[in-house]
Amino acid sequence: MLTWAIPTYTPAYPGYGASPALVANVSVGVMIVMACLSLVRLLLARFAGKTLPAEEGQFPEEAQSTGFTQVGRINLYHLARFIVPSALLLVAIEYIGYVPAAFIFLLVIQYFIGSRKWLQSTVLSIVLVAVLYIVMRYGFGVPIPGPQLF
Amino acid sequence: MEMIFAGLLDSISPASLMFVFTGVAIGVMIGAIPGINGPMAIALFIPITYYMTPLTAIGFLVGLNKGAFFGGAISAVLLRTPGTPEAAATSWDGYPLTQQGKGEKALRMALYSSVAGDVISTGVLIAIAAPLAAVALFMGPSEIFALISLALTVIAGIGTNSICRGLIAAAFGLLAGLIGTEPVTALPRLTFDVYQLGGGLSLIPVAIGLLAFSEILIQLERFSVKGGGEHVANVFSTKREDRMLSFKEFFGKIKTLLRGSLIGIGVGAMPGLGAPVASFMSYDQAQKRSRNKEKFGKGSLEGIGASESANSAVVASSMIPLFVLGIPGNLAVAMLMGAFMIHGMQPGPLMFKENAQLMYGIYGSLLLASLFLAVIGRFGLRLFCKAVEIPAVILYPIVIFTCIMGSYLGRSDMFDVGVMLTFGVIGYFMRKFDFSYVAFLIGFILVPEWERALQQVVIISENNPTMFFQRPVAMALMALTFFVIGKTFWNNIKAGKDCRAEKVNTSAKAEND
Repeated sequence: MLTWAIPTYTPAYPGYGASPALVANVSVGVMIVMACLSLVRLLLARFAGKTLPAEEGQFPEEAQSTGFTQVGRINLYHLARFIVPSALLLVAIEYIGYVPAAFIFLLVIQYFIGSRKWLQSTVLSIVLVAVLYIVMRYGFGVPIPGPQLF
Repeated sequence: MEMIFAGLLDSISPASLMFVFTGVAIGVMIGAIPGINGPMAIALFIPITYYMTPLTAIGFLVGLNKGAFFGGAISAVLLRTPGTPEAAATSWDGYPLTQQGKGEKALRMALYSSVAGDVISTGVLIAIAAPLAAVALFMGPSEIFALISLALTVIAGIGTNSICRGLIAAAFGLLAGLIGTEPVTALPRLTFDVYQLGGGLSLIPVAIGLLAFSEILIQLERFSVKGGGEHVANVFSTKREDRMLSFKEFFGKIKTLLRGSLIGIGVGAMPGLGAPVASFMSYDQAQKRSRNKEKFGKGSLEGIGASESANSAVVASSMIPLFVLGIPGNLAVAMLMGAFMIHGMQPGPLMFKENAQLMYGIYGSLLLASLFLAVIGRFGLRLFCKAVEIPAVILYPIVIFTCIMGSYLGRSDMFDVGVMLTFGVIGYFMRKFDFSYVAFLIGFILVPEWERALQQVVIISENNPTMFFQRPVAMALMALTFFVIGKTFWNNIKAGKDCRAEKVNTSAKAEND
């Protein structure tokens, strides 16, 4: 960031005020310093044969400090199951339109969530796609992405 | 005076009434569902408010937030699974009452305590926000810069156990907020030649990705399909005394409710503490001062009242720093601040000058939301209890699809859906590695104002770095910022030492045994 992204994609200093790159450089600087500090603490603790307290551990288990869930280790397979269909939906909507793309997406997502009741999945998909179509198109007047079926 | 009447009249227009009512009803429903909370609901519903007037939009979101606060108590009482974190203390006494068949009575106590805390807190907000804002108007760019720096430092500690990770997250939020058009040169900055980034990252997809989508990804990891929605049994007794709350039972706890409300107001007005702190603090005080200490944790109405009055009082009081200083104290208020900005307003002391009528309209909506909460809660309690039974296989696809289409709705651009997915993944990793997404989001929202203040300071002082030393308030605030950083680091180091000492003691004890 400091050597390429910020210098390349930040306007030059106009001659007055603070440099447009100042806050960006400070932000990246803070990130680097804090990351180094964490690393030093971790290494010092490791060399001294001590373990950091639980709250300094990398993967907090069931920490409920803000009410949102923080659990366990990273599960890339789980992440891919929901991100890949969502990313494919982005592409598919442009080519085949909202209605079929969203319908298939919902079926796939429900399958990955664990639903094996096909009738329930199909009904939910149809209802959800239809409700959001009507709300967006006729309620808010938002153009529906991709080729239109009707 | 004219403005006050005009604002209050606006708040009782049919559209405003309808949206505040709908907001409260949806909020209660959503808050009752474990895993979905107020800030997440606001993130999901902000796109819809694009199509509303500023007053109806803010009224709707405020209603949503208030409703969600009470809704959290429903699952806490019925399932011992707090729908929102601040309802955790409510579950300690609410659930035992449910087991005794007095769930409805517990919910009624929670409802009326919530309304009491909320009304008192709204009254305080109305009474003090405008006078304090008048004082805050004397602040110049140096003070604003110093104040935002202090707020960012305090908030960096929220949602993480390490100040280092909190500051990294806040700095990352600042960096993400810089993407777009640079204010002085009006040229693109950090846009990587992507034209959609020219206007900056939109708050809606970023907030939906970080708050809602990543949360659902994490929850789905733990989810087992076999379960689904939880069945609630034995809630509504047939005996009238087990269902209804008598005047004596409620007004007998009035001291506890007042104390809880005051604690909630104090905690809410301070950035960074939040409703769970208020709730636990109030519960603790109530237990210490109660004549029936032994009943706490076994089904005490006083415990429910203490927790609910305090956490509901936070809702309105947390708007004090927003209206007075333009700084959000917690996540829900940060989202509300985003909504203000979407509707072309910059929260802060100037709002009372520039949008006085709207401000009084918002006050009216806040009071109406409290009234609607009492009415909706009173008559719809049984219906809302059904919300906790919605099977997860139905709930999660709805939330995921709403995240996707909600991101699209803001600017009608699929690029924003991509942004939402990206921040969903970033949020997932931030949660896993204990980086504070709260600090990220508040940094992201505050950076334009922070940078503007910095630019003004530098231009006014003609690049003189001693500008801050000529302004005593700014200097004091900057000193406080460094003190907060130092103190937090010291506490972290101390906590580490204590923890190690405790481990050594434990292992020595184990060896001796």
